[in-house]
Amino acid sequence: MPQAPAGENEGDFEAVVARYHGEIHRYLCRLARHAGDGEDLSQETFLHAYRAWPGLPGDANHRAWLYAIATNLYRNHVRSAQRRRLAHATVRVTRHAVDVDGPEGAAVAAQMRARTEATVDRLPLKQRIAFTLRKLHDLDYEVIGASLACSPESARAHVFQALRKIRQALDRPVPTRRAPAR
Amino acid sequence: MSRTPAACAALAADLIAAAVGEASRPAAERIDDHVARCEGCRAEYRRYREVDAVVGELHAAPAPGSGRARARLLAELADLRARIVRYAVVDSPLGPILLAATEAGVSLVEYLGRARVRGSALFRQTTLEPHEGGAALEPFQRDLAEWFAGRRTRLDWPLDLRLARSDFHRAVLAATAAVPFGAVSSYAGIARDIGRPAAVRAVAQALRHNPVPIVVPCHRVIGSGGALVGYAGHRIGLKERLLDLEGVRTERRRGGVQVDRRAMYAWDRSDREYCLPTCGDISTRPIGRVTLFASARQAEALGLRPCGDCRPDLHPLEA
Repeated sequence: MPQAPAGENEGDFEAVVARYHGEIHRYLCRLARHAGDGEDLSQETFLHAYRAWPGLPGDANHRAWLYAIATNLYRNHVRSAQRRRLAHATVRVTRHAVDVDGPEGAAVAAQMRARTEATVDRLPLKQRIAFTLRKLHDLDYEVIGASLACSPESARAHVFQALRKIRQALDRPVPTRRAPAR
Repeated sequence: MSRTPAACAALAADLIAAAVGEASRPAAERIDDHVARCEGCRAEYRRYREVDAVVGELHAAPAPGSGRARARLLAELADLRARIVRYAVVDSPLGPILLAATEAGVSLVEYLGRARVRGSALFRQTTLEPHEGGAALEPFQRDLAEWFAGRRTRLDWPLDLRLARSDFHRAVLAATAAVPFGAVSSYAGIARDIGRPAAVRAVAQALRHNPVPIVVPCHRVIGSGGALVGYAGHRIGLKERLLDLEGVRTERRRGGVQVDRRAMYAWDRSDREYCLPTCGDISTRPIGRVTLFASARQAEALGLRPCGDCRPDLHPLEA
């Protein structure tokens, strides 16, 4: 029944915003690299959460719940962006050119970071989300599975698949200005 | 890597897990043992340690500022909060009633009749965003049940009259809210109260679109001829029953349902006294000037004195 004590107090929701806005915002900015999208999505996440707040069971894990909302919104966002692209029928192949975003001769560490980020960007969606949730936001596989509507085991498999791809990417020679061939 | 022995292949997943700190203790120990002996896997293990280190750096990278985003969010949340209206359908002797309230107060009381909730006025407006349920509605539901059970004569609820159509509309509702339990006024009377004595029809029209009937008691406002005329569309029957609940007697005549003036105390609003219906010419004075009461107690609650001529205090009307 949608009348849990959780929703009784508006102040409680403000506390949730104060506590989790920063990391949810960061999570969505990481997923949606285009400036603005991440902010809009985090905005939506909390407006959505506010609407659902009165129906939330009193013992719910707020952090996991917010990540699930954020992940769903992001996946919808990607899907509708894909539809838009298809609708416009301009198939653009160049997605993300690897851009070593530092001065020439930057430290190896910086290159490895950039290469890792570029690899993460090109991961299949579920792998990318699972990796981000696990490795950058420290969520456990139960929660990640719930966010992605899959089992904890396949959430783990997604993360390990992502790690293998990053490991392979770090093995390739230093990129030139062209996009690497996968 | 392409010539990985079977033993190494079997350990591949655990090797990654151990390198990134996700292996169980026995698995980690197995990997430690194996890596100490197998050079190929040792290199692989080191590579994954590097991956883990790079990922750790990404993890630790300073977060982009979210202060501006937070400020924007809080503004939008405040906006949304003010726009949300929570509703519930409650059963009543007058059929299902939809009750809706924003955080500012009750904004809609609607007789649903046989209509579905989706047919409610709540879904024909765009000012407020309807959400079903919510603990905030419970005290209103309780009050209303007590009201219908005759255990409550006032509904002193905070109101949110955003669904009213104009300031005129709100003024009419405010004047109507002042008509007490068990009393009856008229459209002409309300028009006078708000300083627009000629706007009788506009007052009637405004009350026809009262978003909060019962709470703003438009059932206590009748036509100047004493007839009940219009209520919630054409549901005079509801008006009759609400008045009955307050002890106001009505009778069916050719002109429709009439309030029985002979059974009510009367107060000419130019005066500070209330009278028996038989006092002087009070029963023939235009109802726009007179407020009627089902009981003397209700008149006295307004601070009125019994009339010195007809002495309603000595000759009370039969209940």
